[in-house]
Amino acid sequence: MKRLPPLTAKLLRDLWRLRAQALAIALVMAAGVGMAVMSFGMIRSLEATRADYYARYVLADLWVPLRRAPDSTARDLRQIPGVAGVESRIGSAAMLDIAGIAEPVTARLHSLPVSTNQLVLRSGRLPRRDAPDEVVASESFVRAARLELGSTLPALVHGKRITLRLVGTALSPEYVYAVAPGQIFPDNRRFGVLWMAREPLAAALDLRDGFNEALVRLAPGADRAEAIRRIDLATAQYGATGAFGRDMMVSDRFVSSEIDQLRTTVEILPPVFLGVAAFLLNILLARLVDTEREVIGLLKAFGYRSGAIVAHYAQLALLLSLGGVLAGWGLGTWMGRGIAELYQEYFSFPFLTFIAGLDIYLGAAGLALLAVLAGAAGSVWRAQRLTPAEAMRPPAPAHFSAHGLTGRLVPLLPDEPSRMILRGLARRPLRSLASIAGLAAALALYVASASSTDNVDKMIELTFDRGQRADLSIAFAEPRDAHALHELAALPGVQRIEPWRGVSADLSNGPRQQREALLGLPAGAQLMRLVTLDDEVIEPGPNGAIVSSQLARKLALKPGDSIAVRVTEGERVRFTLPVARVVDVPLGAALVVERGLLNRLLREGDVASGAYVMADAAGRDALFARLKQVPMVAGVSVASAALRGIRETIGQSMGIVTLFNTIFAMLIVAGVTYTSARISLSERARDLASMRVLGYRKAEAGFVLLGEQALLALAALPLGLALGIALSRYIAASFSSDLFLIPSAVSTRTLGEGVLVVALAAAATAWLIRRSADRLDLVRALKTRE
Amino acid sequence: MDRGEVIYRTLGLTKSYGEGATAVHALRGVDLSVHKGELLVLLGPSGSGKSTLLNILGGLDTASSGQAWFGDLELTALDADGLTEYRRASVGFVFQFYNLIASLTARENVQLITDIAEDPMLPEEALALVGLGDRLDHFPAQLSGGEQQRVAIARAIAKRPAVLLCDEPTGALDSATGARVLSALDTINREVGTTVFIITHNAVIADMADEVIRFADGAIASHSRNPVRRSPAELSW
Repeated sequence: MKRLPPLTAKLLRDLWRLRAQALAIALVMAAGVGMAVMSFGMIRSLEATRADYYARYVLADLWVPLRRAPDSTARDLRQIPGVAGVESRIGSAAMLDIAGIAEPVTARLHSLPVSTNQLVLRSGRLPRRDAPDEVVASESFVRAARLELGSTLPALVHGKRITLRLVGTALSPEYVYAVAPGQIFPDNRRFGVLWMAREPLAAALDLRDGFNEALVRLAPGADRAEAIRRIDLATAQYGATGAFGRDMMVSDRFVSSEIDQLRTTVEILPPVFLGVAAFLLNILLARLVDTEREVIGLLKAFGYRSGAIVAHYAQLALLLSLGGVLAGWGLGTWMGRGIAELYQEYFSFPFLTFIAGLDIYLGAAGLALLAVLAGAAGSVWRAQRLTPAEAMRPPAPAHFSAHGLTGRLVPLLPDEPSRMILRGLARRPLRSLASIAGLAAALALYVASASSTDNVDKMIELTFDRGQRADLSIAFAEPRDAHALHELAALPGVQRIEPWRGVSADLSNGPRQQREALLGLPAGAQLMRLVTLDDEVIEPGPNGAIVSSQLARKLALKPGDSIAVRVTEGERVRFTLPVARVVDVPLGAALVVERGLLNRLLREGDVASGAYVMADAAGRDALFARLKQVPMVAGVSVASAALRGIRETIGQSMGIVTLFNTIFAMLIVAGVTYTSARISLSERARDLASMRVLGYRKAEAGFVLLGEQALLALAALPLGLALGIALSRYIAASFSSDLFLIPSAVSTRTLGEGVLVVALAAAATAWLIRRSADRLDLVRALKTRE
Repeated sequence: MDRGEVIYRTLGLTKSYGEGATAVHALRGVDLSVHKGELLVLLGPSGSGKSTLLNILGGLDTASSGQAWFGDLELTALDADGLTEYRRASVGFVFQFYNLIASLTARENVQLITDIAEDPMLPEEALALVGLGDRLDHFPAQLSGGEQQRVAIARAIAKRPAVLLCDEPTGALDSATGARVLSALDTINREVGTTVFIITHNAVIADMADEVIRFADGAIASHSRNPVRRSPAELSW
C-alpha cells in the first residue's frame, strides 16, 4: 500500500484531533451557508413561481373598477396604445351565511374569467353557464370554513338574497394572498372569493349588457402611466375610481414584501454566522501555529518550502470548513423545502418548489470560503514567516504588565485565580473583544428574532386595544344617511354606533401623486381612534387632515402643506386639504379627516359609508344573525376575528423562524464558548496542572478556565441586549411597508429569555470543557516545556 | 544523630504502563523508609523510576500495585480527590521548568498557595527565604531562570509543607545559579525542618544529602547515608 505523504498524514491526524472544534466551527458555518442558500433560493423560487404563475394564468396588468359601463367600452379600451387585451367582468361584494360560523362571512364575487386571471381548478368543476346557483370558491376559504362540494351558501348580493351551491374549489393568481377589503391579514374563515357564471351575477346586479370591472393586459414595453391616464379618461363617465396596477394590489404587495423580508434576512444572518465562524477558525489556527512552532521550524530546517507550509495550514482551514459548507447546503435545502411548504399555506400558489440552483450553492460556499480565508490568513502568514531557528526556540514567555488599566484593576481582586483570569483576558484584548462580539451577536440574534412577537403584540395592542375598540365594523353597500344609522342602532345588542365615511381619491402634492382612501371619523370618536406608535391618541380636528408618515413621505408632505384631492367616485369633487399633523400609526388609514369636514368637502349631507359598532357580548350571535339579513350591509368585519387572523398568521411563521433562530443563537454561543474555552484550556493547561499539583481542587482550577468564559459572556450581555434592541428596530423598520408600520417593543421577558438562552448554551458548553479540564494529565503537563 | 520518625514507607511499590509483552515497568517493587526532616537525593539515569516514585509519593500518580504510606495515611488507598487534599495539605513541588503562572507576579505566584493553605508563611517571608525579597512584583518573564526557580521554591514552601519534592530543580540552570537554588533548599531543610527529596542526574549534588538513593531499571540499586552533609556552596560542576 502506498503511504500517505507525511504532511497529508499530519493533516488528517490534526483534523481528527481537532474534530470537536471542527464540529463547532462547522455548525456555525453550516448555519450561515444554510441561511444563505435558503434565503437566496427562496427569493428566487418565490420570484420565479410568481412570474410563472402570473404568466401561465394570465394575470392582468391593470384593474379598472367602474360603476357600470356598457360592453362597448371594452372595445374602446382595446384601442388605447399599449393595451394588448381587455376583458370585462362583473364583481360584487357579498355576505354569506354559513352554518357553523356565527359572524357574517364577507365574500368577493367575480364572474368567471375567460382569458385573464384564469383559475386553477383544485377540486370539483367549474360552474355551468346555465346553472345560475353554481360557484367555485377559493380553496383556502373552503378549507377554513369547512365547506364541502355541494354545500349551499345563502348569500346577500346587492341587497338580493340568493342561494349558491359549491361545485368546485380553485386558486387564482389574483388572490395569492386573499384578504378582505381594508384588511391586512388573512382571515380565511370569514373571507372568501367566489366565482360564478356571468349571466346570473349580472342579473343580480342589474348589469345585463354591461360590466363593472375591466382587466387590462399591457403590451410589452407599453407606457403604463400613459395607458392608465387614457383609460381613466375613457372610463371616467362610467364611475371609474381609477385604474391601478399590480403594485397596488394587496395580494401582490404581500408577496413582494415577503421577498423584501427575505432580502433583509440575507443581509443580516449569513454575515453574522460566517463572521463568527471566521473568528473561531482564526483563534483555532492561531493556537495551532503557536503550538506547532517547533514542527514548522523542523520542517523548514529539513528543507520544506514556505509554500508547502502555507498549503498545509490552508488545506487544514479548508477541510475544517468543508463539513460546514456541505452541512450548510443540506440545511439550506431542507429549510428551503420546509419554508416552501409553509409559504404554500400562507400564500395560495398552485405550485411552489424550492429550487436554489447551482450558482446559489456555489455562491454560498464562496461566501464561506471568504470567511475561511479571512479567518485563516493571519495564522498561515505567521507560520510561513517563521524562520527555522526562530521556530525551534520556544516562544518568549508570555509578557504581562502591571501597568495600564488592568494593572490598576488587578490588585483590587480578592484572589490569584481572579487575577489570572483578568490578566489572561487583557493579554489578548482583540480575541477577548471578538469573543464578546460573537456572544453579543448571538444574543442580539435571539432578541431580534423573538421580539418580532413582542412587536406584533404591541401593534395589536396599539391598533385594537387602544385604537380600534369597536366590536364590529360595518360597511354599507352605498353611502347612507342618518336613517340607516338609526336602523343599525336599533338592532338587538347594539350599544353604541359611530358612523364613518370613506372615499377613494387621487392625492397630489406638486408632481407627486398617490391614490388612497380618505377616512372620515366623527369628532370625539371612541370606537375608532388613531393611536400613534408612541401611544398618543390623535383626533382629527377642523383644521385639516391627519396624514400617516408613509403617505407623507410619498407625497413629501409636512404639517401646514396642502394636498390636492381629486375624489375618484361619486361627484368626483376636487378640493385642497391642509395637513394638520403627520403621525406614525401602525395599522390603519393613511389619511383621516373629521367626518363633518369631509362631508362638507364632498358637498354632501350627513352621510356615512358604514359604522363602527359596540355590541353586547351576550347578544352578539343574535346580532350577527340579524346583520346577515340586512340588505344595506355589504360587509361586516369582526375585531376579535381579525385579531385571531393576525395572531394565527404571524404566530405560525414567527414561531418557526424564532425556533430556528433560537437554535442558531445557541449554536453560536456554544461554538464561541467551546472554541475559546478549548483554546484557553490548551494555553493554560500547564497553569491549571500546576494549580492542581499545588493542591487546588478541580473546581478551583476549573474556575480560572470557566470564570474567563463566564466573564466574557457577562460582558457580552449588555452589548448583546443593546444590539438586539437595535437589530429589532432595524428589522421592524425594514419589514414595515406602506401597508403597516411595525413598532419596536422588545419586552423584558424577551430580553430575559435571551440572557437565559445564552447562559444555558454557555453553561452546557462549559460543562463539556470542564470535563476535559478535570482529566488533565498532571504529570505530562508539568514535564513539557512551556 | 537522632533520626526522626518515619514519614514515608513503601512496600512492593510497582508501576507499569501498558499490558502484556508491550508493558513498560517503571517501578519494579520498591521498599523504602524515609525519615522526617532529612534531605534525600535520588540519582539515576532517565527512565530508572525515580520520577515515577516521586510522583506517587507526591500524589500526582497512582501505583499499579504495592502500598505507600505518608505517616499513617495510606496514599495507595486514596482516590483522586483524596490525593488532591493530601497535596494541598502536605506536599510542596519544585519542577525542572518552574511551572510558574506567567500571568501572576512573584508575590502572587506564592499567594496562589498561601490563599489555600492552613497556616502559611507570608509570601514576602517565603520569598525572603529564597533570597528574592526585592523581586516581589516582577512577572516571571522579568526574572532569570534561577530566580524563577527560587520563586517556585518559595511557592512550594510557603504553606510549610511536611515534604518538598523537587524533580530536577537545577536541570535547566547553570552551575552557579543551580548552587543558589540548592542553597535555598538546604536552608529550608535545616531551618524549617521540611523533608526534602531532590531528583537529579548530577552525582555531585548527592554530597549535600543525608541519604542518597540510586535507581536503576525501576528499582533501588543502592541506598546509602552520607557521614557528613556538604554545603551546596562548596559544590560545583
